[in-house]
Amino acid sequence: MHELQTLYRHRQLIAALTARDLKARYRGSILGYFWSLANPLLLLGVYTLVFTILFPARQVTPYPLFLFTGILPWTFFAAAVLESTTSVISNAGLIKKVMFPAEALPLVVVTSHLVHFLLALPILLLAAIAFAINGDITLHSTIALVPFVIVLQTLFVAGIAMSVSSASVLFRDLRDILTNLVQLGFFITPILYQIDTIHSRPLRALLRLNPMTPFIVTYQDLIFFGHLPGLADTLLMIAYAFGSMALGFVVFDRLRDVLAEAI
Amino acid sequence: MSAKFTISVEHVDKSYRLWGRRSQFATLKSALLKRDLKLAPDASVPALRDVSFAVHKGEAFGIVGRNGSGKSTLLKIITGILKPTTGRVTVVGRIAALIELGAGFHPEITGRENVFINGIMLGLSRREIEQRFDKIVDFSGIRDFIDQPVKTYSSGMYVRLGFAVAVHVDPDVLLIDEVLSVGDEEFSAKCVAKIQEMKYRGVTLIFVTHQLDQVRNLCDRAMWLDHGEAVQIGDPTRVVDAYLQAVAGTQPAPPPEEEPDKQKDPQEEERWGSGEVILKRVALTDHDGRDLVALGAGTPVAIEMDVEVRVPQTDFVFGIGIYHADGTCVYGTNTDLEGLMPNALEHDGRVRFVMPSLDLVAGSYRIDAAVHTKNGRAFDYRRGCIRFVVGSRVHDIGLYRPQHDWKFEGGITFRAADAMRNVPAPIAEYIRANEEAKPKKRK
Repeated sequence: MHELQTLYRHRQLIAALTARDLKARYRGSILGYFWSLANPLLLLGVYTLVFTILFPARQVTPYPLFLFTGILPWTFFAAAVLESTTSVISNAGLIKKVMFPAEALPLVVVTSHLVHFLLALPILLLAAIAFAINGDITLHSTIALVPFVIVLQTLFVAGIAMSVSSASVLFRDLRDILTNLVQLGFFITPILYQIDTIHSRPLRALLRLNPMTPFIVTYQDLIFFGHLPGLADTLLMIAYAFGSMALGFVVFDRLRDVLAEAI
Repeated sequence: MSAKFTISVEHVDKSYRLWGRRSQFATLKSALLKRDLKLAPDASVPALRDVSFAVHKGEAFGIVGRNGSGKSTLLKIITGILKPTTGRVTVVGRIAALIELGAGFHPEITGRENVFINGIMLGLSRREIEQRFDKIVDFSGIRDFIDQPVKTYSSGMYVRLGFAVAVHVDPDVLLIDEVLSVGDEEFSAKCVAKIQEMKYRGVTLIFVTHQLDQVRNLCDRAMWLDHGEAVQIGDPTRVVDAYLQAVAGTQPAPPPEEEPDKQKDPQEEERWGSGEVILKRVALTDHDGRDLVALGAGTPVAIEMDVEVRVPQTDFVFGIGIYHADGTCVYGTNTDLEGLMPNALEHDGRVRFVMPSLDLVAGSYRIDAAVHTKNGRAFDYRRGCIRFVVGSRVHDIGLYRPQHDWKFEGGITFRAADAMRNVPAPIAEYIRANEEAKPKKRK
């Protein structure tokens, strides 16, 4: 509770730093914020081209939309976690020279990637509507539940970001280890394939151990397939979200006192 | 802790870990698993040892010492950036620390946006910054560039903006680490003036600096840190001097002669220095060389110093200071400030500081006289070696009485006033006696 109060007190700071990050990122580029929309749009274009014309996929149709549904939340997760490993280290000046709430740094990374994710969602929605008009899928009201999943996923990502941002100050190899783990994670998360197409039960159980699996599966359920998520997935998401936040606070709290010296 | 102190540092020790590849991982493990951050002695370097002091509200406290003596570590512990290994630090009120100006400015965004973010980092709300924004920009003097990205700023503009934000946070405690020397002369003077203004408003100040003049001029007390230990705490001029003596290596540091907080008799002269040159006699005299202890405003006087040279010197400065009894400096100068280049101090001699007219307002005053090296290392420093009283017919206020006259034209008239009515009887008597004496002498 105490940690949450601290975060609430620093909400203006986190908001201001996130705005600064976003502004700084596009300062000097002509298209500016448009890139946040253009990037996923171009990605969708590439997938559509590759998987409908070059290598027509058979598993799930329309495959580009399926892929897009999974890849956006995955990108949010992967980019935020990887960038947070350097968030504290690269702001050494702040930690050493200013009385600064260090936990704001990974959270700023998470919120700015959340903003990118939220900006890409309308593209996903438009794509889904386009495919629906074309008769490839039917849209369901389950899409209205997506915000809840986003909240849970954000909590999950924020917890991880807090842990890895502080731990990587003392253990710098963490960044490289995570880069490889995240790459592996992309393939053991049902993004490119549907989890139901894995027939071996033990293998499916193994995939479920990957904490990103229930989130990605739920996004696919709500947007692509139009049915409610399973109870197991829902409980897992809630457990992962709060477990990760708790772990993040504990790790960060224990390392806080050594951060200014170790950087 | 007693409430009269704004900052209280009690028995603070600080050791830094030695960061080897192994020990880093060991720290991570022990922090996460055992929640134990105690250090093995061979894996740490002591930075501060049993440092204790307290700073009153509104006091300016200077910290001097060599590089690596623990000054910045101490400031960071007071700020809360670092945690002491053992001991306790208590600070009452909002702290602003000028440890690095513009820390956290982002090069890609404009000065305006950086002012907001920097202000929020220092603990202001967005609305508070909006209220102060114009003052901040005016103080920094870079209004024309405020909407340009900070990466286009010169380093001078950068620190100007950083300083402007930091001093407008309205802190209760301001910690300053070696930043007053930034910027050009003009801005430097502006910074010092701003800091004096803050001190006047009751802001508690802690300075870390190598500019010893600033410690002498701005601080009420000072501490000399050496190898993480507080060697001496007390009067800034004395502490700076003890430090300079130690740096020059002419003498082992004098032991702290008294308890820092002990109340001293204000009438008592304080005297210190290496003794290579001595001010045998210091006196306030009139035209004829007679000692004075009481005088009327506007009297011609001189400060006389009889100098005894025990070790001939080539680097020497004579200085005087006139203080009001409440400690306010009325005037201070020395031969170096006035551009006199020392040639030789070989034999005994006499120095006279002649004032054709000492235009002071009625009150008690004291004089400091000193002979020291150019960088401030004292040969002989005599604080309060002369006490004198200025009497006056008129009960005007302040310290300095410019020579003046009231002129009235048109329909404004006054009746002649009895100027003596407010003057205390003994002084009035003295003045009358003096005035009667004067015409006789001229005859």
